[in-house]
Amino acid sequence: MNWPQFWQYTAANALLGIVPAVVGLAISVPLGIACVRWRWLYGPVLSATSVIYAIPSLALFVVLIPSTGLGNLTVIIPLTLFSLCVLVPNVVDGLRSVPEPVRQAATAMGFGTVRRLVRVELPLAVPIVIAGLRVAVVSSISLASVSTLIGVASLGYFFIDGLQRDFSEEIYAAIVAVIVLALGCDLILVLARRLLTPWSRKQGGRATINAEGGQLLQEQAI
Amino acid sequence: MITFDSVTKRYPDGTVAVDALDLEIPAGKTVVLVGPSGCGKTTTLRMINRLIEPTEGKIFLDGQDIQQANPSTLRRGIGYVIQQTGLFPHRTIEDNIATVPLLNGWAKAKARARARELMELVGLDQGMARRYPHQLSGGQQQRVGVARALAADPPVLLMDEPFSAVDPIVRATLQDELIRLQGELHKTIVMVTHDVEEAIKVGDIVAVFRPGGHLAQVDTPEHLLGAPADDYVEGFIGFDRGIRRLSFFSANSLDLDSDVVLGENATVDEARALAGRGRPWVLVADAERRPRGWVSAADLASRPGTERLGQLPLVPVGHTFRPELDSLRVALDATVLSRTERAVAVESEGRVLGVTSYEQLRDAIRKAEQAADDELAQGAAT
Repeated sequence: MNWPQFWQYTAANALLGIVPAVVGLAISVPLGIACVRWRWLYGPVLSATSVIYAIPSLALFVVLIPSTGLGNLTVIIPLTLFSLCVLVPNVVDGLRSVPEPVRQAATAMGFGTVRRLVRVELPLAVPIVIAGLRVAVVSSISLASVSTLIGVASLGYFFIDGLQRDFSEEIYAAIVAVIVLALGCDLILVLARRLLTPWSRKQGGRATINAEGGQLLQEQAI
Repeated sequence: MITFDSVTKRYPDGTVAVDALDLEIPAGKTVVLVGPSGCGKTTTLRMINRLIEPTEGKIFLDGQDIQQANPSTLRRGIGYVIQQTGLFPHRTIEDNIATVPLLNGWAKAKARARARELMELVGLDQGMARRYPHQLSGGQQQRVGVARALAADPPVLLMDEPFSAVDPIVRATLQDELIRLQGELHKTIVMVTHDVEEAIKVGDIVAVFRPGGHLAQVDTPEHLLGAPADDYVEGFIGFDRGIRRLSFFSANSLDLDSDVVLGENATVDEARALAGRGRPWVLVADAERRPRGWVSAADLASRPGTERLGQLPLVPVGHTFRPELDSLRVALDATVLSRTERAVAVESEGRVLGVTSYEQLRDAIRKAEQAADDELAQGAAT
């Protein structure tokens, strides 16, 4: 077992998992705000993210290779697009979870639209957004192993290598590493949530992904 | 002063919430808008801080057309309290209260110091400053709501059914505190309620709405009870308005009988002499003139003439009242509840001033009603 290579690929896998979730969040927040502001937009956006999710990652790699080559970017772009399927609905649900009296009181206190969004609505959406982020990060870390198929380093390499060389310890070690990475990221997000929302009634939020999204996620992970 | 000049609110589906409303809300007064649901009272309130924009007509705040003002600036000068409190769940109590000062650009420390002052003013323990809204009871949250509305010392305070979500005992306390606060602060308060008792209790002026967004009557609570404009208002006020009106007449006008009071060292003979002059009950008081109990003429008959009154079994005094503070309603209530059909009037130290019975009450009520009716008639004439 080549441990230096193992750690290097674990780090690469972590990067391929975290970057898409972070970029996905950066896209989902404005997109979600827009979907709440203009209600008609949400339906089409939701359909679009679901359709994207239905495309196999390998097919997206193939489409992207001519323009982005055989690099990290070719893996990060599809995973980012997949994360939108969970993150956009969670941003929308989070913003819609702000109680109407709170919104009204904020307006009546003299908050303008933007200030109300930044100081009241987004902070109150944090628990639900983080719940979505947890799902997005974990699924990205898991999905990232597919990158091996186009020669981009990730823990997926050890699945193929272990299979070809009939070296099952290598496969198990990589599976454990994926799980530990996913749990580690999840734990960090749970802690972040506690720090960011000391006001929250109950700790340990649940993802409010829609049934369709959840199912798609599971299928992709397989 | 807030002036509604022929204000109409019509929704796109054609419903008219408020119909050509003319209303003047004098500065420094508490004006309560009351009526059944769907009568336009809440719409009227929310048009003042432009949460709802009128379809027609104009609203003036101290002579300025509010349509010309920047909505956010306008709202920072108008406190707003709502039933569900609308407190920010993610902010501590002190930061909730400091909201408007912070929006106005105060330094954080100064805004928080102001928040502590207001907590004191509305009767909240300083220990709650760092807690979050969900850790407080409904009544406490409502106090925070009032404190938050007052934080930037706005001249106008809008209250939308502020006390309807709390239990009756807490509600009564909050109403009393609002009356006390208003006595200190003299804000222009516009309050919406569906509870006519609340309107009569806290309002200087009560505006009764009828369905369809029309005003039925705008008057002082006393006049409203004494002379409802029509059957609708009378029905809305409720059936015992005659009794409730007595709340507005001072018990000071009662003719008190102080001759029936004897010390506990007085003898049965002295009491008999009093009872002989047509007084079926004698009030026994201690050396400091605090009431101890009643003794009846019938009981006196069987006692030796030299016995001290303090030694006799006495009928309990029951509720007392204070003429300089209480209303005729309180005096009447004390009389009704008393086993002797008489109530004892006391001064601030609890010493007996005198005794009242139904006869004196009847005279006082008649005089007070006459005076109020004369005043009403005069008001109508001018």
